[in-house]
Amino acid sequence: MLILITALLLFLTALAVVILQIMRPEFRFTWLTAVGGTLLAWISVLLWQANMPLSFSVLPWKPANLFSESPAFSAETIIWPYALSLVTLAVSILLTASVNETFTSAFVWAGSLTLCGLGLLAVTAANPLTLALVWAALDLTELIIMLRSVNDSTSSERIVISFSTRAAGIGLLVWANVVTAASGKSLSFLTTPPQVGLYLLIASGLRLGVLPLHLPYSAESTLRRGFGTTLRLVSAASSLALLAHIPASSLASPLTPLLLILAAIAGIYGGWMWLRAPDELIGRPFWMIGLASLAIAAALLGNPTGTVAWGTALILIGGALFLASVQQVWISRALLVGAFSLSALPFSLTASGWQGNVSGFWYIMPFPLIAQALLMTGFIRSALRPSTRASLESLPIWARGIYPVGIGLLFFAQILLGIWGWNGALQIGTWEAGFVASLLTFGLLWAIPRFPALNPVPAHWVQPSSASRLDRLYQNLWIIYRWLERLSKTVSDILEGDSGIMWTLIFLVLFISLMTQGKP
Amino acid sequence: MSAPFIWIFLPLIIGGLSLFITRERLATIVGGVTAILLTGAALIVPIDEALGFGSFSIKVASSFQILGRNLTLDAAEAPLLTILFGVAALWFIGAESVGVARRLTPFGLIIISLLVASIAVQPFLYAALLIELAILVAVPLLSPLDQIPGRGVIRFLIYQTLGMPFILIAGWLSAGVEASPGDLALTIQSTMMLGLGFAFLLAVFPLYNWIPLLMEESSPYIVGFLLWLLPTVTSILVMSFLDRYVWLRTSAQVISALRVAGLLMIVTGGIWTAFQRHFGRMMAFAAVAETGFILLALSLDPVTGLPIIFLLLIPRGLGLALWALSLSVLDSNTKSLHFSSVQGMARTYPLASAGLILSALSTAGFPLLAGFPPRLALWNGLSQQSLSMAFWLLIGILGLAAGAVRMLAVIVMADEKTVWASKESWAQRGMLGIGMIGLFILGLFPQAANSILDKLPLMFQHLGH
Repeated sequence: MLILITALLLFLTALAVVILQIMRPEFRFTWLTAVGGTLLAWISVLLWQANMPLSFSVLPWKPANLFSESPAFSAETIIWPYALSLVTLAVSILLTASVNETFTSAFVWAGSLTLCGLGLLAVTAANPLTLALVWAALDLTELIIMLRSVNDSTSSERIVISFSTRAAGIGLLVWANVVTAASGKSLSFLTTPPQVGLYLLIASGLRLGVLPLHLPYSAESTLRRGFGTTLRLVSAASSLALLAHIPASSLASPLTPLLLILAAIAGIYGGWMWLRAPDELIGRPFWMIGLASLAIAAALLGNPTGTVAWGTALILIGGALFLASVQQVWISRALLVGAFSLSALPFSLTASGWQGNVSGFWYIMPFPLIAQALLMTGFIRSALRPSTRASLESLPIWARGIYPVGIGLLFFAQILLGIWGWNGALQIGTWEAGFVASLLTFGLLWAIPRFPALNPVPAHWVQPSSASRLDRLYQNLWIIYRWLERLSKTVSDILEGDSGIMWTLIFLVLFISLMTQGKP
Repeated sequence: MSAPFIWIFLPLIIGGLSLFITRERLATIVGGVTAILLTGAALIVPIDEALGFGSFSIKVASSFQILGRNLTLDAAEAPLLTILFGVAALWFIGAESVGVARRLTPFGLIIISLLVASIAVQPFLYAALLIELAILVAVPLLSPLDQIPGRGVIRFLIYQTLGMPFILIAGWLSAGVEASPGDLALTIQSTMMLGLGFAFLLAVFPLYNWIPLLMEESSPYIVGFLLWLLPTVTSILVMSFLDRYVWLRTSAQVISALRVAGLLMIVTGGIWTAFQRHFGRMMAFAAVAETGFILLALSLDPVTGLPIIFLLLIPRGLGLALWALSLSVLDSNTKSLHFSSVQGMARTYPLASAGLILSALSTAGFPLLAGFPPRLALWNGLSQQSLSMAFWLLIGILGLAAGAVRMLAVIVMADEKTVWASKESWAQRGMLGIGMIGLFILGLFPQAANSILDKLPLMFQHLGH
């Protein structure tokens, strides 16, 4: 029931904000209402710990003989960090909105809260059916928001491609359900059968843009800090949570090394592009690909706890950086807490990131570690980068007090989760991996001023739409598609032409003779 | 008073009289109110039971005799009548907003009454004749009297008419099979005839080429109405045949043929949807796949298959109605439904575009939409029989989904100068809104219609028991 209370607090606060904005646009306490409701939701998530595990079922689907599973939600200790991260993000977005240019737009706050509520439902989904429903809701919401935010046809096309990729992820999830049903069982996250582990992993990887590597969105100029950050991070969290439900035993497949290599390539690509991004918002998609690939690598290493570590790092560390829109020395320094959280060193948020069957894949392990180092270096540089942003001192006194709390809450959550988060928290972890990644990071930080190749590229160079091997692959697929289209048109023309009736009757006779073949 | 009078003759008479209506609004009101009242009656009025009003009571008899034949609608058929007239009410009410109410109300009511009669007639062999009558009435509906019928209308008439003699011969042979069950040759002949008859009526692969042709040359709304109604009633008749003849429902060949035919319709319908460049033709092939889903469900174990078929009925009707309405709104504001003409229309007709995309996604089984729960149940049921068959179903669904995505890509691809504005009328917005909300409600709560659906298996004595 607590899950429902938290989600309802977010949705009802969003609704209240919208109603207030429409009915009483001059009302001065709309923002306070939003913050109050969200803080209550945050406290309610903390209260989950008192009653773990939690579960909550919606009305069962009928007829009962057709639907062995109905929409249901559950929260175990492994999922709780995601829930806390999402609600913390919601609070932080509202608190940091006090310094944003979109501060007066209550609809943006309502949108952010709704998205966080949907994200919360996604991470607490108890079975693939529920997750598919919430993913679909998130995808449709994102589709509408993104289509409204762009003007040109090329961007619209990219949004549709992104939507279809995510829909393919939903398709794989449903297919996993079908494969389980074939063996007469029902698929629940409590009892994930071994034969569907890879489907679930690829479904998540597809939605995250890691398997196969793709980056559909460009600079996202109109959806930048607050709302854009919510949209991207909630969407990622909803997909990452699935990885925590994949048992290690179900990923023991001959395909595992290949998938691990692909995830490592995606991680290095994401890390490299993140390192060279001219600013953190342009680099945001690469940050997400980089960390998502580390989470996928952890899942492939048989380490569900590690996926949660990298997943929460993506939301909390990324959230702090992307929401930091005001220049202040102490905030910039405090952002470096994120570098420690990302290091996989003992007692950090990601300390459990490199556990699992690391020694079994020793020959692949250097690549995810390189990716991690690139991401850490890029993060440190973004945190300390001097910018033209407004300084905190130039803001009203109340904003000067509230804004650091918004960012600080994300640091607090990182430390809290590192100590208390889940069964894998407060541990030394595979410290050697964290040590190697940290050394590499220091090496890269030393090399940056000395090697121009490591410096940021101008903003207009960072275009995911530029021609690449991947684009050529898609072009070849398009050629095949056009060929099939011509073939189908030819068949249609024959069947719908003057001789169509004769052809259909011939097909019919053929069909009947095939069906009765060998029968008396 | 008898049930056949209420649900067959009353709509027939009202349909006939409404041929003289000249105003769109009045035709909509007559059609909508009639269908709603008949839906309510099917929900409330008990058949063959006394209905008391204080000291006064009436009893609605289940049978009515005409020309020596019986028309019987008993209490078990009431849920089906509720669904048929309920969904028809949506079609009739939406007709005004696209300007086809004067045609749809009279002919639609007549066609529904004839098709209900085909379910009610005893001996049920006469159903084929009543369906043929309904098809003949559909011709002026599709092609107004002052217009030369196109190739699609002619082909529709040819294919649907070809089905009738096969079913009549099959019925005649079936009597012989019942008399001598051991006569294998007679059984095979009878099964073949029946299969061919229903293949023509249900537009089974490859006999569906009239559907895309019709969608190109007639009003999408009217074609959509027929694509909803005809296969729905014909499927019920197929189930009646299976229920009546034990040798049919126990025949492995019949079950296998149903499964192959269903999968062929879904796969070819899905793939063809993905490759079309005309929105109307896309809907046509999606409707073919929709019928395939019903046939596929029919091939499953009846305990699983029958509830799936009934679960498919309402989402199918709602989805096609929304799709046809959206297409008609777009059609009336552009030269044609070719990609080049409708490109970017989402900016100026956002609700119609949303209705179009949501109904296409619902047909493809996108979660959260009405089509998802029945498809999931069907997919799970099929996978328990054969995972390879379930994979073929995946191919068909992928085709349908690819079609929906292509549609989306085309309709949102506007130039930078086009600003967002909703040019739909208030009536259109209202109907499109209701349709979309309905898709979401049924997608999230498939149990919403369970109180009606769970009584439907009572229509059949043997299937589903």
